[in-house]
Amino acid sequence: MSTAEYLALAPLLTISGGLTIMLLVIAFFRSHRVAHVSALVTLAATVLSILTCTPDSPQVVLDLLVVDGFAGYFMLLFAAMGIITCTLAYRYLEGRSGGLEEFYILVVTATIGAMTMAMAQHYATLLLGLEILSISLYTMIAYPQETHAPLEAATKYLILSGVASTTMLFGIALIFMASGDLYFSSLMADASGPYHTLGQLMLLTGLAFKLSLVPFHMWTPDVYQGAPAPVTGYIATVSKGALFALLLRFALVSDVLSVSAVFVALSTIAIASMIIGNVLALMQQNLKRLLAYSSIAHMGYMMIALLAISALTDTATAVESAMVYLLGYFLMTATAFGVISIQSNAKENGDAELISHYSGLFWRNPLLASVLTVTMLSLAGMPLTVGFIAKFYLFAAGVESNLWALLWALVIGSAISVYYYIKVIFTMTLNEQPDSYAHPETTWSTRSTLYALGLAVLVLGFYPTPVIELIGQLLSGFSD
Amino acid sequence: MEVFLFYIAGFVSLTATMLVITRMNASHALIYLIISLLAIAVIFYLLGAPFAAALEIVIYAGAIMVLFLFVVMMLNLGRSSVDQEQHWFLPRMWVMPGILTTILLLEMIYLLVAPTSSAGISSSGTAVSPKEVGITLFGPYLITVELASILLLASLVGTYHLGRRYLRARREEIA
Repeated sequence: MSTAEYLALAPLLTISGGLTIMLLVIAFFRSHRVAHVSALVTLAATVLSILTCTPDSPQVVLDLLVVDGFAGYFMLLFAAMGIITCTLAYRYLEGRSGGLEEFYILVVTATIGAMTMAMAQHYATLLLGLEILSISLYTMIAYPQETHAPLEAATKYLILSGVASTTMLFGIALIFMASGDLYFSSLMADASGPYHTLGQLMLLTGLAFKLSLVPFHMWTPDVYQGAPAPVTGYIATVSKGALFALLLRFALVSDVLSVSAVFVALSTIAIASMIIGNVLALMQQNLKRLLAYSSIAHMGYMMIALLAISALTDTATAVESAMVYLLGYFLMTATAFGVISIQSNAKENGDAELISHYSGLFWRNPLLASVLTVTMLSLAGMPLTVGFIAKFYLFAAGVESNLWALLWALVIGSAISVYYYIKVIFTMTLNEQPDSYAHPETTWSTRSTLYALGLAVLVLGFYPTPVIELIGQLLSGFSD
Repeated sequence: MEVFLFYIAGFVSLTATMLVITRMNASHALIYLIISLLAIAVIFYLLGAPFAAALEIVIYAGAIMVLFLFVVMMLNLGRSSVDQEQHWFLPRMWVMPGILTTILLLEMIYLLVAPTSSAGISSSGTAVSPKEVGITLFGPYLITVELASILLLASLVGTYHLGRRYLRARREEIA
């Protein structure tokens, strides 16, 4: 490996080095606070190394990974989300007896997996990154409570995600049989035939399963509901984001969307996700399940940016809209699950997950209620929030590439979604107090993280210029 | 001839796998699973990957499957299960696994004694020696080896955490 390759790999090396130090620290000195701080330091160092070491032009590392502005942007989001998750989890887990330190190791390994996926250009690294992420998530879901819900959620996720991985692996084997190569770029090179198409469809089925797009979405609400709130936030953002980044690079590099069977299948899945996700969210009484269905719909929206790649000559527009949307989605989802985590505690009777738990929140804690209100409005795509900017970019990319059926689904889906997001806000203004729920003590670090996130949702809504400029700058070196 | 052997091994593997998923008894299913893995090892050998074939036997058929078998056997404790287990291993239960393994054994003997197929290569492709596998793993695929180690670390930490909780609950139950 050359110096340039080592330098490009600096984020991965930093986080792995930090992981080793964390393991040693935990082995000799078991303390929740020390483990928490060392995880934060590791992830902060990773953020710094991404900011300083991301190369201007794409740098290929050992043919398996490629580091460019695209990968750097997503890695930055994942590491930042890791920091947010650790911050929220500290207060959430604090006070539970025994074995809290391993949680932070798992957050760091999951982030390593997500970062690998953002850089992958070979099926081997794709699969390894995906499995590191999934294996860490199984334990994170089952982590805190002695109750049945997290274990049940983890078991469901383990089995269904195992099936998805197997489907994907079989698809990769079929692609290898047809093309004789495991690089994304050689997918379409001198290979055709039914096995080749079948392989691509199986691969995309596996990915759609993990992204919880509609025919493969059944696991999502159960897992979101059963998992502890900070972990749910992590699954909803990093797990989905990493898969989407991977899918985006795969589509860009391999030109898989030029296969009409794949294009039609993905369009159908996207439209179904937008409509069915929003319709199923309407009647939910549980905020976590509501957000699960809403995330299914949001993944459907994001597929527009992916499908726009095939129709546009200038792919940078589509990629830019996907990057803006993902940032918005990360901010909104992290804030929503942050509010749930801050209202919950691993010690007590489960999470504050019912919408009725939030009735009267405006009178009890106006600031927190405002944060949740802004988030809900942003998820619905109201102007002056980041959700609107994100949807605007998506719409622009869709219009430019003439994806009218998908845009109609986006409009209808968004219109339906306003109802259930407003319902949450309405519940918060109700006068009655929740009968059972005493909201636990909060700490300044969780509160300030949450307020910062809520402020970012609002500020980026009317002043998105810095982020747009940053993305443009990162994409300038992006060749394809 | 090697192509013919490939199809026989493939047939054995498919038959054994079908029997795995139709058995009502976990121990019997596991025995068929071991046969299926042995057949896959023969296929690997025929395709020119002797190292992968050896790993398949040592790790899958050897370590993991025996572990499975032990767990299945240890979960059923008590007098009634001993009687039950005596019914598991009636002589007629061994007929089918015996036939399948004999086919694989004959294939292996043929491969070892037949002079033309000493390298164990099928009609196309080249044999990959263990040395080449090692050089590839620690050369161009170095990063996948490191990532695999992180994958194992994550699963180890996870298993430790979940297992410890289970053991603690068991201790409280006994006390």
